[in-house]
Amino acid sequence: MAEEKTRVDFNAPKSLVERADSVVEILDISRTRLLIDALEDELEDLANDEEFRRRLSDAYYGGRVDYDTVEAILGREEAMRMKLLRASIDRTPAVPQLEDDLPSDDTYYDGEISEWADSDSSQSDDESHAR
Amino acid sequence: MAEKAVVVVDTNVLLNLATPVVDGRSKAPSGSDPLKALLTTYEVHVPTSLLGELTDTTGSDDLLSAAADLVLQAADQLATHEIDAQTDEPLDYGLDRGESECIWLANELAADLFITDEFNTTNYLFVNLALDDRNILFTTPHILCTLATYEILPREYVSAALTYYVETKNWDVQYVAQLRQDQLQD
Repeated sequence: MAEEKTRVDFNAPKSLVERADSVVEILDISRTRLLIDALEDELEDLANDEEFRRRLSDAYYGGRVDYDTVEAILGREEAMRMKLLRASIDRTPAVPQLEDDLPSDDTYYDGEISEWADSDSSQSDDESHAR
Repeated sequence: MAEKAVVVVDTNVLLNLATPVVDGRSKAPSGSDPLKALLTTYEVHVPTSLLGELTDTTGSDDLLSAAADLVLQAADQLATHEIDAQTDEPLDYGLDRGESECIWLANELAADLFITDEFNTTNYLFVNLALDDRNILFTTPHILCTLATYEILPREYVSAALTYYVETKNWDVQYVAQLRQDQLQD
């Protein structure tokens, strides 16, 4: 089924258009076909580009682009994920309840808390690791 | 004093909350304990199998293992539920068994909150679909902001923790930034 088309006029550097026309002649396709293919390729590349995705989701979470735009560029699943995640920001979770202060580590945890340090020696294995 | 809200969490949430507590490196936030804060202020329920998952995670000399150790040291604070025959029909959305059991439990208990950190991938969609009530789904960064709002954790700590997670966990930066802007400022 042919999609509705819209006419686009634009100016481009003359030499670029000449190069494109040479290619069009060799491939025996229309200039329009070449432009459409090039645009589609570019949009697909962008959809997979980390930096572009970051900017798009910035714009989406910030309300500068709408859902349909995100869906058109990133596909439905990713757009839905972002939509649900963004909607969840406005939800208010059930209120946490605290009577006094938080309990001390001694009363709360069973045993000492063992802190992990990024040591280069893994030789100290027989030191007691609190479990 | 109102009753504590019923919360179901998945394994990663507990591990993520425990991580900054046991991480002795300077980039980790210090001075507060988000794991203790969550477990004290909500009634946290998990499938019994989650404890097994945690035990499997322990035993190596890495940060994840240390985090699992800490969660197990607070295991008394978790309400556990044996889930076996009930999940004969797996929640077939490509979610792993542990995650499916948590969702099943949240639906069974009609939990007030379900917290997951599966929000970076399309798994988040499936978790949404599988939960009977979609409005109970939250993430660890969101709940940390809530704990700051109610002054259970200091704002500065939560802010530092969000930065820490974004740097170490590959969390969706824009989502966390938006949360920070909406909930941690003023």
